[in-house]
Amino acid sequence: MGATVRDVLGRWAIVLVFALLYGVAVLLSDAFLEPVYVGNILRQAAPVGIAAIGTTLVMILGAVDLSIGAIISFSAVFCAVMMQGEAGNIGIAVAATLVVAAAFGAINGALNLASPGSSFILTLGSALALYGLTQLYSGGTARGIVSPGFREFFNHRLGDVLPVLALAMLAIAAVMELVLRTTRFGRQIYLIGSNREAARLSGLPVAAVTFACYVVSGLFAGLGGIAVLARSGVSSTFVGRGFEFDALAAIVLGGTVFRGGRGTVVGTVAGTLVLFIAFNLVNILGFNYNLQLVLKGTIIIVASAGYAWLGRDR
Amino acid sequence: MAFDAVAAARSARNAGIYALLVAAVVLAALFVPGFATPTNVGNVVTQSAALGLVAIGQTFVIAAGMIDLSVGQLLGLSVVLTCALSEGRGELLVPVALAMVALGAVVGSVHSWLVNWLRIEPLILTFGSLSILQGVIFTMTDRSVGRAPDALRWIANERVLGFPVAGVLLVVFGVVAHALLRNTRFGLRLLATGDDGESARRAGVDVARVRWGAFVLSAIGATAGGLLVAGRLGTGYPNAGQGFELDAIVAAVLGGTSLAGGRASIVGTIGAVLLLGVIANVLNLLEVSAFVQTLAKGLIVVGAILLTRGAPVVAARAPGAVAAG
Repeated sequence: MGATVRDVLGRWAIVLVFALLYGVAVLLSDAFLEPVYVGNILRQAAPVGIAAIGTTLVMILGAVDLSIGAIISFSAVFCAVMMQGEAGNIGIAVAATLVVAAAFGAINGALNLASPGSSFILTLGSALALYGLTQLYSGGTARGIVSPGFREFFNHRLGDVLPVLALAMLAIAAVMELVLRTTRFGRQIYLIGSNREAARLSGLPVAAVTFACYVVSGLFAGLGGIAVLARSGVSSTFVGRGFEFDALAAIVLGGTVFRGGRGTVVGTVAGTLVLFIAFNLVNILGFNYNLQLVLKGTIIIVASAGYAWLGRDR
Repeated sequence: MAFDAVAAARSARNAGIYALLVAAVVLAALFVPGFATPTNVGNVVTQSAALGLVAIGQTFVIAAGMIDLSVGQLLGLSVVLTCALSEGRGELLVPVALAMVALGAVVGSVHSWLVNWLRIEPLILTFGSLSILQGVIFTMTDRSVGRAPDALRWIANERVLGFPVAGVLLVVFGVVAHALLRNTRFGLRLLATGDDGESARRAGVDVARVRWGAFVLSAIGATAGGLLVAGRLGTGYPNAGQGFELDAIVAAVLGGTSLAGGRASIVGTIGAVLLLGVIANVLNLLEVSAFVQTLAKGLIVVGAILLTRGAPVVAARAPGAVAAG
């Protein structure tokens, strides 16, 4: 019986944490009650949140993708260069960026099929290679010019409150949650993540699903790169550096376990929001920016420990 | 009989990495101007020593079936603390060095407690502590601080009778680590734990203690490596440790240590560290741009993993095959 209480607790932990933290935030600052400020936090969280949604699929599969920071960086630079400051180029720039980002995801997928079980170091290696490529491509500085209308569109506030970027994150989350819950592809991800060998023996297309998850992770990192560019307008080589930490913290907070087989996209988005509310609190309370790094690391460790404890009897 | 077969397989793997090393050195000597001078070869050894210490520590953690991603930032913290605390005063070198060893022992102990008691995955745990350590470094300083004592600079840079002091240190540490892994009960238990933690526990191995030993060795390898890097740089540069974790893991894997645990070779790790050192040195001598070097490093990481990917399966099968025969 104890296990079922823990089970329920494990499922709703992120909601509890979110409610608690938001309550604390409201107590500390009235700003958290203003719709525009909440819209800001959502927009701020969008690049990490969107990228983390893709990586959640890889994590449920029982693998990991630490290259998304590099893919985000490359995508931001590539998209800005493709736009060349012309409004007419926006469509083609965004499409080309997504294709290239998905291709990087495909490379990660192929590498992981070649050597299963070493996904963390393979994606750290491919991230390093991609940072090198990005620097060669950009010459080491910010390159490319953002087209007029690009930033205006993504930062436009619907009803003067909700930025398009924030809406995009929520919409993508809803779609991907549906994909995970209702499609065969979604169920296959959970089954493979629970027991890869059993899934293979029962005839599931393990290789194809693994490959697809990495492509999705790359594609969403590309979207994240476009979102960063839209939010900040900066297309420097290292704009996405460290985003893999934010994403991993959000994913782990959201209840996706490192061993695979469990996790939700909704949890990841809630985890992202918890992370960014915490970042904003750190700022409001006047702490040094570097405390965010400590906070991220602590969240990753504490959340893992918490979920490990909740799942102990399994 | 079984022991002979395993030892033979190990020698074959070590021969592989040293064959690669020799090939790289011969090619570099033939085609890269400026490589084959005593000064340059000494430099390769001197510059490899810090990574060697970190990689030896990492080898123990990987052999136990875990991973330690925090070593790069821990090395960085050690560099900053060493220079900031000593401010170039030679009389403080010994106390500061002891303090860095203690720092390693504390960080390693914390890691092992969290893994043993809270059952956090080592990968996730050390990824988190990497971030924390980086935050701690940059909270202290965002620019180079302090000065390394002259004695430390001598150890890290100079030669005696033509031999780099840091290289001699690396060999001494290597010999001790090799003996620890091959000739002690701790080493045996470590490899058993990495091979199959549950079986090792049933056979009476105190798995928690083995993990403690592995994490402490890894963390002390990082803080000791930090002392050497501090001596090389002469000042506490906060980004000094960036990327060491990846190089250390790649060195261990290239040297024949299995990421699945249960199999390790200190001799192989040192060979791989020297190989990485030769490659980095050649890229520098050829004046390849930093960007291309980053790209090359990434490709080496991926290549190393793909190159050694068949190994864990062979290792898992070997004992059974020997027992049957």
